[in-house]
Amino acid sequence: MIARTVGFEWDAFGSSFAPLLEGAVMTVVLTVVVMLLSVPIGVGLALLRLSRHKVVRAIATGWVEVWRATPVLLQLFWVFYVLPALTGITLSPFLVAIVAFTGHVSAFLSETFRAGIASIRPQQRQAALSLGMTPAQSFIVVVGPQAWWRILPAFANTWVSLFKDTALVSTIAVADISYIGLQLRQETFMTLEVLTAMALMYLALGYPQAKLADWLERRFGVKE
Amino acid sequence: MTDSLDTRKMAMSGAEPLVLLDGISHAYPNGKVSLTELSFAVHPGEVVCLLGPSGSGKSTAIRCVNMLEPVTAGRLVFEGIDVTAKDVNQVEVRKRVGMVFQNFELFPHMSVLKNVAIGPIVSLKRPKAEAYDLARELLAKVGLSDKGDVLPSQLSGGQQQRVAIARALAMQPDVMLFDEPTSALDPEMVGEVLAVMRKLAEEGMTMVVVTHEMRFARNVADWVVVMEDGRLVEEGTPERIFEQPRMERTRAFFGKLEEQDGVLPTG
Repeated sequence: MIARTVGFEWDAFGSSFAPLLEGAVMTVVLTVVVMLLSVPIGVGLALLRLSRHKVVRAIATGWVEVWRATPVLLQLFWVFYVLPALTGITLSPFLVAIVAFTGHVSAFLSETFRAGIASIRPQQRQAALSLGMTPAQSFIVVVGPQAWWRILPAFANTWVSLFKDTALVSTIAVADISYIGLQLRQETFMTLEVLTAMALMYLALGYPQAKLADWLERRFGVKE
Repeated sequence: MTDSLDTRKMAMSGAEPLVLLDGISHAYPNGKVSLTELSFAVHPGEVVCLLGPSGSGKSTAIRCVNMLEPVTAGRLVFEGIDVTAKDVNQVEVRKRVGMVFQNFELFPHMSVLKNVAIGPIVSLKRPKAEAYDLARELLAKVGLSDKGDVLPSQLSGGQQQRVAIARALAMQPDVMLFDEPTSALDPEMVGEVLAVMRKLAEEGMTMVVVTHEMRFARNVADWVVVMEDGRLVEEGTPERIFEQPRMERTRAFFGKLEEQDGVLPTG
């Protein structure tokens, strides 16, 4: 460790990127798959929480609160260790990551969606119903799209958070950027170089996502 | 004299009412009673105006007709169907009832043309090309052919309300309900909306209009219903109601309007 006081090894820094890029593919796949699952589940949970039936509302609320009030690292470990012990079902680390993060993100998104749906004036729904639309059509054609653009900034924040939080899957040996980076550091002892390369990798991927979301909001935000 | 003023063309012709409110009551979930045993009829081709002070239940009454508010007692019959029956298909009834809201309620995320076409496309499963053709026709009818591609937010209030009327007409409804269609408008825009409504009335559209526009009621309505505190005060032809109101409460209502706005429309 003392030997590592001699400045920055540019070669080691440069050669970190090829393996990290493989990890980046996993990070992106995890983020995209979790989001693709979490959006419809989040919408479903939001609608259940807006249901007229008290029992349905209570169950959905309870489910969401459990996922919101516990740390995602614990959720990951719980699905990894406890779920197999309880049910006998053992999932691959990748599937554990998908299940735990989808549970976590869909709970957060459901809150965002619920607020977004509630922010649309009830008269908009009534106008859709008055045109002979069914309640489902009113939601899909009129209320949902308006709520979607309204919650886009919050949604983009959740997206970028998820992208970064997926680093936690390294704790259950899913080969994402963090797992590969931390392995690389252990093997080469190039802590400074590898961690800097990891940081640049996350930044290079995360920054455009955040900017894209900003642009979407400016471009498509609903003006009334 | 009074009798001849009070004859109702449509009723005399023996036509069945298109809409019949038969002793309907309504209360909000908080228990506040908004309608008490209200009855009146709307015949095909008639323009019926509902007048009365704010909070008298006029809006609630027409919202009951397309079931945006549930009737708690009484019968509400539309085209011979009791829409208060448990098994009534609300969606099918609403397809035949057009509604125009006080605050327009255009869909802000759709172009003006799509706002008008969306009802037929989604509810009636019409081919898109056909629905858009009809929408263009209706926009022309309300004098906004050049505004099809813009968003509602780029239109004035009066223009938005004309689009809202076109949107309701696109469903080719059997009756049009207007819930204070000019109350949210700047005074200089009221005229253009009333002109469109007047044209509709002349074409024979059956209309139920909640309004504070006394001149419109006087000149366009076939039948006027005066309400207060969720009850019917009196009903009659506009000539009779405006010239010989029988009830003290009608006179008091007109008196208040006169204090606010100057003169009542006559003749």
